[in-house]
Amino acid sequence: MSLNQHYDLAIIGAGPAGMAAAVEASKNNLKVLVLDDQPAVGGQVYRQIDKNYHNSDELSYLGEDYWLGKKLVDNFWHSSAELLSESRVWQITRDKLIFFSQKGLAHQVQADFILISTGAMERPMPIPGWTLPGVMSVGGAQTLLKSNNSGVDGAVFAGSGPLFYLTIWQYLIAGLKIVAVVDTAPARLSLHHYLRAIPALLQLNLLLKGLRWKSYIRKNTKYFSQVRKVSISGQFAAESLSFIDRYGESKKLFASHIFLHQGVVPNVNLTMATGLKHYWCPRQLCWHPETNIYGESSLKGVFVAGDGSGIAGVGAAILSGKTAAKRIFQYSRRPPIFSIFLSKFKRYRHAAARPFLDNLFRPPKDWRVPFDDETIVCRCEALKKADISLAISLGVAGPNQLKSFCRAGMGRCQGRMCGLTIQQMIADHNNLLEKDIGYFRLRPPIRPLTVGELASMADENVPAK
Amino acid sequence: MSLQSNKILIIGGGIQGCATAYFLAKRGQNVTLIEKDRIGRHASGVNAGGVRRLGRDVLEIPLSLAAMDIWQNLYQEIGEYAKDFHPCFYLKVAVDEAGREIGLMRAEDLSRAGFTHEVWVEDDHIQARLPHLSTPTHGGLLVEGDGWATPWRIVQGFANVAKKHGAKIIEDCRVTSLTKFQDFWQIQTAKGLFEAESVVNCAGAWAAGIARLADDHIFPLEAYAPMLVVTDKRPKILPAVMGVVAHTLSLKQLETGQFVIGGGVRSKASPSINQSDVLLPKLSSSMKLASKLFSEIGNAQVVRCWSGIEGYMPDNLPIIGRGRQNGLFHGFGFSAHGFQLGPGVGEALADLVMGQQPRISLEAFRPDRFVN
Ligand SMILES: Cc1cc2nc3c(=O)[nH]c(=O)nc-3n(C[C@H](O)[C@H](O)[C@H](O)COP(=O)(O)OP(=O)(O)OC[C@H]3O[C@@H](n4cnc5c(N)ncnc54)[C@H](O)[C@@H]3O)c2cc1C
Repeated sequence: MSLNQHYDLAIIGAGPAGMAAAVEASKNNLKVLVLDDQPAVGGQVYRQIDKNYHNSDELSYLGEDYWLGKKLVDNFWHSSAELLSESRVWQITRDKLIFFSQKGLAHQVQADFILISTGAMERPMPIPGWTLPGVMSVGGAQTLLKSNNSGVDGAVFAGSGPLFYLTIWQYLIAGLKIVAVVDTAPARLSLHHYLRAIPALLQLNLLLKGLRWKSYIRKNTKYFSQVRKVSISGQFAAESLSFIDRYGESKKLFASHIFLHQGVVPNVNLTMATGLKHYWCPRQLCWHPETNIYGESSLKGVFVAGDGSGIAGVGAAILSGKTAAKRIFQYSRRPPIFSIFLSKFKRYRHAAARPFLDNLFRPPKDWRVPFDDETIVCRCEALKKADISLAISLGVAGPNQLKSFCRAGMGRCQGRMCGLTIQQMIADHNNLLEKDIGYFRLRPPIRPLTVGELASMADENVPAK
Repeated sequence: MSLQSNKILIIGGGIQGCATAYFLAKRGQNVTLIEKDRIGRHASGVNAGGVRRLGRDVLEIPLSLAAMDIWQNLYQEIGEYAKDFHPCFYLKVAVDEAGREIGLMRAEDLSRAGFTHEVWVEDDHIQARLPHLSTPTHGGLLVEGDGWATPWRIVQGFANVAKKHGAKIIEDCRVTSLTKFQDFWQIQTAKGLFEAESVVNCAGAWAAGIARLADDHIFPLEAYAPMLVVTDKRPKILPAVMGVVAHTLSLKQLETGQFVIGGGVRSKASPSINQSDVLLPKLSSSMKLASKLFSEIGNAQVVRCWSGIEGYMPDNLPIIGRGRQNGLFHGFGFSAHGFQLGPGVGEALADLVMGQQPRISLEAFRPDRFVN
């Protein structure tokens, strides 16, 4: 591998946004490098699609939307973009040096432009017992299907959101048994909500698909809706899940596998650690990097595309990747006015259903902040809600100060598991808005990096400055 | 806004400011400490926590020893918080013959100057005390009783006892101007106007700016951001704090089993916007050395990297003493080794402010030593 090279464009993340950008940029003869921490391209949505394609008859349960990704992946392979897989990017500097490790060694490359397309992550659902063995995220459950071509029989699914229904549907079509589906979405009866459904009709296909999944699930599983107070118990591992159903009755289900989901949020660890500006999105209850219509961030030459810049789904991700690549190619020129309108319109069209869906699946506070004092919030440091409340009551004004008081967020997950919960708790205690509380100050390495890997750079040329 | 009158006003809520506030308050002085952010938010709360006399500039040793007297009886000063200081031993090993030469020379210099705390030991001694060491050494320098502390807790400790003795501590309050009227100072801040007979400048990397506001000396103080990393939890193998002769490495293992690795390597700091960078690859040689000493460390995962804003003087010695202006005192410029000195500096500054003779000479730290 001849690294230490210079690229026109380096793309972090080979999901739909990253691949689309790579294809578009290579078409325009840019020298492109794509880095991804997985062994195969595809990101979350198209995970392992190349391998699975040979088996597509047997794996038809993954659904037609999944197989659509094959075309994009093929285009990517036909492009001149270079791919470095199993490469974990752990730092990007303001002068656009990219540091990453691969197979035990650390390297650096430099690029004129950087596109960060590191996608989304699932919002943690900190309910009692969520840290017990046997409890997993729904995304993890779906990964089992895509990577191992096997799921788990006899699980309970608890949560809500598009990925929640899709995965359950895939499990059912794959012939796996499901003990029950516990839907945590509250009833949305306001007019205000249904007004949002009007623009969503632009993505009618998407809505109909969702309705189809849902009715299939209702028919084929034991389905509970509008539940409250979900908790998991078990001595050493998950044994059962309890909740209160919509009629106010307590229910208990036995299962050793429980899959949780409360939607996805942009994975902002890299964009934040790189120093890009972010803003709080109250509709999606998470941070978004600030970008213009082309995806350009507050740091010149650094772009963000795909779900990492705000949750909008795969169609919008592909479009945003392409748009960023085009803009990078014509960077020296001013974009013609109509192209701005066109981009805006296309973007709107590809995410028209978002406001409606965001509202429909907006997780109520009970699923974002534990309703029970004994529930773990910070997994790395094993801190319960009560521990964190106590520290906050000592006069903590923000997440960073909280670190000194109780070490919350200082572990290896770097706040991915507890950040949003802690932010909400501090906001509640001080009667402030979440946006005014801010988030953990994130610092590299934002990906696992060993001392040995870092030591391997000692013999390379380390940038002066 | 009403004018708040004080006898002594301290600027900066780091270890120097808080320790000074404590010693003054304990002696019954009316003292107020003003911090622009939060107590311990900067260098004093985020440093490596190295409490070492080892390797100090000979000119700094008396102050370091005086400080150590306080560290050794810390419980009497700050109570419960003292349990966050962990005395052990500090060892700086030579990894080659060149290092051995330098180390032996250092040991000789020290004994000639009459210091006995830091001594040379041979490899067999080192191997016996550090059975997990992965490499033979060429001997090393040793100080018994040096150790490490959780810095933020210690600063909190001093701030708390200062308050208990009646000191006022005001956070989120930036000093924006300092004006001398006959024999008192008027201090403009984000939270109103203050008046004081004496002002103590413990503003860390920002202290030259404070001196400028007061029309005092121009100080050649520069700001940088020393960096540290902490790893995941590992089996306990290192009961000492370690360094390597002629290299910038400091290495220790916390009670949790996490390693803290750093020492001297620094990145860019922008004090005006409270920002300090980290550039991990700059630490690669330190990482290489650490994993050479203990191969197990090579497998440890870097969990976090951080840095803090520190003020450096050209001669790497602090500024401690009276300013050009009457009633102005300075204590800053600790050049990345001021945490251990903190309690000693606090005591000495309290003496100075109260017109008493400090128990050690501060000659080497004279504020006017860069005035030509
Ligand atoms: C990463 C790192 C590792 C280190 N490791 C060690 C070690 O192992 N051992 C050791 O002995 N030393 C170490 N040091 C050095 C040590 O931390 C510092 O020398 C020491 O903490 C300095 O204390 P201070 O009180 O002068 O500064 P600070 O802690 O910086 O305090 C100064 C305070 O003044 C405040 N201030 C500034 N301007 C104003 C204003 N206008 N109005 C109000 N307030 C103001 C600031 O906000 C700040 O809180 C390390 C430093 C760093 C950064």
